Parts: sequence; C-alpha cells; structure tokens
Amino acid sequence: MSSLTQEEQLKLISDLEIEMMADMYNRMSSACQKKCVPPRYKDAELNKGEAVCIDRCVAKYMDIHDRIGKKLTSISMQDEETMKKIQGQMPQPTPK
Amino acid sequence: MAAPTDDGAQHDAPPVNTENANILPTTTFNWYHQLDLIMGENKRRNKIFPPPMGIPTPERTPEELRIQSFFESCAFKTGMSCVLGFALGGAFGLFTAGIDPNITGTETPTMKLVWKEMKARTISYSKNFALIGAMFAGTECLIESYRGKTELLNGTLSGGFVGGIIGLRAGVKPAIFGALGFAAFSTAIDYYLRH
Repeated sequence: MSSLTQEEQLKLISDLEIEMMADMYNRMSSACQKKCVPPRYKDAELNKGEAVCIDRCVAKYMDIHDRIGKKLTSISMQDEETMKKIQGQMPQPTPK
Repeated sequence: MAAPTDDGAQHDAPPVNTENANILPTTTFNWYHQLDLIMGENKRRNKIFPPPMGIPTPERTPEELRIQSFFESCAFKTGMSCVLGFALGGAFGLFTAGIDPNITGTETPTMKLVWKEMKARTISYSKNFALIGAMFAGTECLIESYRGKTELLNGTLSGGFVGGIIGLRAGVKPAIFGALGFAAFSTAIDYYLRH
C-alpha cells in the first residue's frame, strides 16, 4: 500500500471522493426532506415555503460539510506533523 | 541437450525487467495529503452532481430555472393578484351597479347618467379589490418565505395584518376588529380551498 503508483493513488482517491459525494447527497436529501417537507401530499408541486426551506437546508448542509472537512484536514495535518516530530526524536530501535 | 543449470542456489523470483520502472514513479501513500485534496482548502471538485437515479431527466438549463423562479417569486404573485383583483372587482362592481344603481333624482335617468354611475362604481370596486388582493398576496408570500413552512397560519397572519392596516384608517378599534375578521375570513377560504 505504501508504494502505489501515482495513477493508482489518483484512482483510489477519485473513487473515494465519488463515494463520499454520493453518500453526502443521499444524507442531505433525506435530512432536508425530513425537515422541510411535511408528509401531506395534497399537491405534486413544491410550495413556496417548502422550496425556500429546501434552498436554505441545502446551503447550510454544504457549508457545514465544507467547514468540517477543512477543519478535519487541518487537524489531521497537525497530528501528522506532531507524530513525525515524536518519531524523529525517539531513538530508532536497533535491528536484531 | 541443454538442461537448465541447477546450481542449488535459492532463487526467490524470476528476474524482473526493471528497465521501464521509472516511468511511473511510485511515491509513498500519504493519507492525510490525499484527504486534503478531497476535503481540504484546495479541493478540486466544487460542483456536486446528483447521482443518476429514478427516471433520468435532462438537466435543467439556467434559463429554465430563472423562468421558474420568476413565476414562483413574491413579486409575480403580488402582481398577478393585483390584476386578478382588478378584473374580479370590475365584474363585481358592474354586477352590483346593474342590480342596485345609486341614482338620485326623480326623472328617468338617461343612458349617459347610468353609464357614468356604472363606470364610477366599477372603477372604485376594481381598485379596492386590486389593492386588497395585492396586499394580501404580498404579505402572505413574504410571511411564507420568512417562515419556510406552508401552513394555514400564513393566511391567518397575513389576513390579520392586512385587515389591521385597512381598519387603521378609521381608528384603533375598527383596526382590531378588521384584523380579526379578515384573518378569520382568509383562514376559512384557505381551509376550504386547500384542506
């Protein structure tokens, strides 16, 4: 796993990204539907209030996703640097 | 016969041809760096496309979305309500002028007089209906946009507001009565039409 080619890495990350986006879309649509569209189906079209609510819900969800993603990656990078420092300072185990 | 020489040494694997190994450079897989590409500050993909599911429909063009949002906007609803109120008020005024004309005087009224009275009453009713319709539709649309819910309460609130404003011309007490009355009236109409 540690010596994949660039192309293989790219493919792996692209697959992961697509899966992440699809999962986010599913969760977002089910959450916003649960919150904004009451289960009374008298009308096939979305009313004004429901359309406005869905717009706001989607905008908030995407904003949350972005912020959490950025925070997570920044914390992960910090953790990684800390780990590298610790490993650099520790004495290397001598091979037997 | 040339037999493969077996000198007894251990061979792990057949010798690999490493001539072209440097064309595709291998790097160590840095998980955090890759995650940063997906989710971090400089992520590449900023547009998310909905995964195809159900009956595949073509993606809607920006013009179509703009037109649809125009026809659903509060301004269009207010204007539409104003025009329809004008037409309805005109019809109503014409009808009542025909039934109960407000003509003073003892001699038989000429056609010109009747026509003048009818026109005045039609225009007056049209303007009133148009104004009330536009105000009611506008406030209801604004309240619904603000709350984000579609309920009967929106009609009640906007009816109360419009009734209060109309009644305020005559004082505070008529304003309160007008608000309550118009709120009840609009709730009843909404209930009948939508429930």
